[in-house]
Amino acid sequence: MVVVGAGYSGLCAARHLHSAGLDVVVIEARDRVGGRVWTELTPGGAVVDQGGQWLGPTQDHLSALAEEFGVATFPTFLDGANVELRAGDRHEFNGLVPTSDPDASADAIAALLELDLLCLEVSPAEPWTHPDAVRLDQQTVGSWVSENVESEAARDLIATAVLAVYGAEPSELSLLFALGYAHGGGSMSALVRTAGGAQELRFVGGAQQMAIRLAEVLGDRVVLDAPVVGVAHGPEGVTVVADRGQAGGGRAPWRVGAQWLVMAMPPAVQSRVSFEPPLPGARDQLAQHAPMGSVTKVHAVYDEPFWRQNGLSGQMIADAGALRAVFDDSPDDASHGILLGFIAGHTDRRLESAGPDGRRSIALEELARSFGPRAAQPAEFTEQRWSAEPYSRGGPVACFGPGLLTGCGEALRAPVGPIHWAGTETAVAWSGYIDGAITSGIRAADEVIAEAGTR
Amino acid sequence: MATAGEIAEAYADWQTRCNDNRRLAKMLRNWDRVVHLVASDTGDGFTVSVAGAVLADLETGLVGQPDLVVTATSEDFADLFWGDLNPSEKYVSGEIVLAGSSEDVMRLDAMSMVVFLDQ
Repeated sequence: MVVVGAGYSGLCAARHLHSAGLDVVVIEARDRVGGRVWTELTPGGAVVDQGGQWLGPTQDHLSALAEEFGVATFPTFLDGANVELRAGDRHEFNGLVPTSDPDASADAIAALLELDLLCLEVSPAEPWTHPDAVRLDQQTVGSWVSENVESEAARDLIATAVLAVYGAEPSELSLLFALGYAHGGGSMSALVRTAGGAQELRFVGGAQQMAIRLAEVLGDRVVLDAPVVGVAHGPEGVTVVADRGQAGGGRAPWRVGAQWLVMAMPPAVQSRVSFEPPLPGARDQLAQHAPMGSVTKVHAVYDEPFWRQNGLSGQMIADAGALRAVFDDSPDDASHGILLGFIAGHTDRRLESAGPDGRRSIALEELARSFGPRAAQPAEFTEQRWSAEPYSRGGPVACFGPGLLTGCGEALRAPVGPIHWAGTETAVAWSGYIDGAITSGIRAADEVIAEAGTR
Repeated sequence: MATAGEIAEAYADWQTRCNDNRRLAKMLRNWDRVVHLVASDTGDGFTVSVAGAVLADLETGLVGQPDLVVTATSEDFADLFWGDLNPSEKYVSGEIVLAGSSEDVMRLDAMSMVVFLDQ
């Protein structure tokens, strides 16, 4: 068996195949495992999760994996007032929703409730089976909001939540997709919440550790620095061609034959691999229609979480600017302070031209506005632009546009001969999250194991 | 611990505030429900009915077939009704338990967020 992609999905697929007694090789393009989950140690010794980082209730597979490898968790810091930047002013509020404009917040809560109620009707496994699927799939979240939410301030609040959750503009997301995706995590509110939601817990030492441990279990079955460029497939199996880095430098084509192949990556990354014969139209078109969201994570590291002394939680939301959502990302022992900011959607794309220094000064100015002048003077600053990563092409997840699920949805998981599809985008529960990556890998491996059992 | 009388007094205050809340009235449209309140420490039970976007007077005892059951300590009920306790944190931590259809639980959660916007 060959698994392409050593993110959580591919690694879990490979371990599942390996445990079933099947020979497996994992081929990874990058020189590291973890995919969209990547923990870095800064020169000053701060642990920063540059990608996926949280664990929430009902993400049982991720929590089991952490327990298996002895990785501890701790709650995302929440004590104190949150900051809201709105219409140029700074406000503080407690709880989930800002209170500076109660009418707007009430409208946003009502709209979120309506979306939550709608999402209960949409099957996360097969959204296209909803009786009104075509109508839901021809709208975007943005067009629904335009029609159903009167106040502009409420629309801004919803846009902030959508950007933070999907890394995409409301106008980019099919309503049907957004509803099925949210239902897979429980509800839209569950995705938005910190306590009781998808941002509830963090990992001591970072979220990549379990991926590294999985790779250790698999040993030399994981081959890094070998981007797969082509796949030839037929009834007898596959030949995978990778552009493998050589020990003494240089690169050389590497061919691996296998009976089955698991592709564990987002559709947009899969679409850069050439298939011979070409994939069925619906599968290829699906990959063409599923661009990645656009997100940059910035981390500002301070000698202490000084905002806590001022009664602030470190959480911020903004109706404009570069950083639309900020979290306290300090370590459990608060030995230093870290603020984590998200730049998402069109703003993230536009800020390409600002360059790293430009983005840094914009982000620090907004942090200072939110948390005081000390925020402008971090000891260290990092940024991770996921759209600049050729093997992710964006993040945190693929955003399915209108018409995709009703047009090509059934191709999402349907095997093509010996080729099986994994990656968090193919997950039913918690698609887009690490937990979904894990279950998608196990599901694809189970498909292969079932087929292997019949030969 | 709060007595049944204290909870009733707090509820009367809550009822007035809710029924005067036009934002809440919008959310209560077409949501006629019977809610049972169970005080986990004292065992007291109460019934709240919502009809025509209006909260009725508190009834003592568990009356009729409930659509939703809310379980919390007597103290938490009193604090919540006086507006001193935003229930969302205790709901998330499992100290306040809501039992009912997903739809009704989501609605109640959203409604409490709207009520507490002004607190």
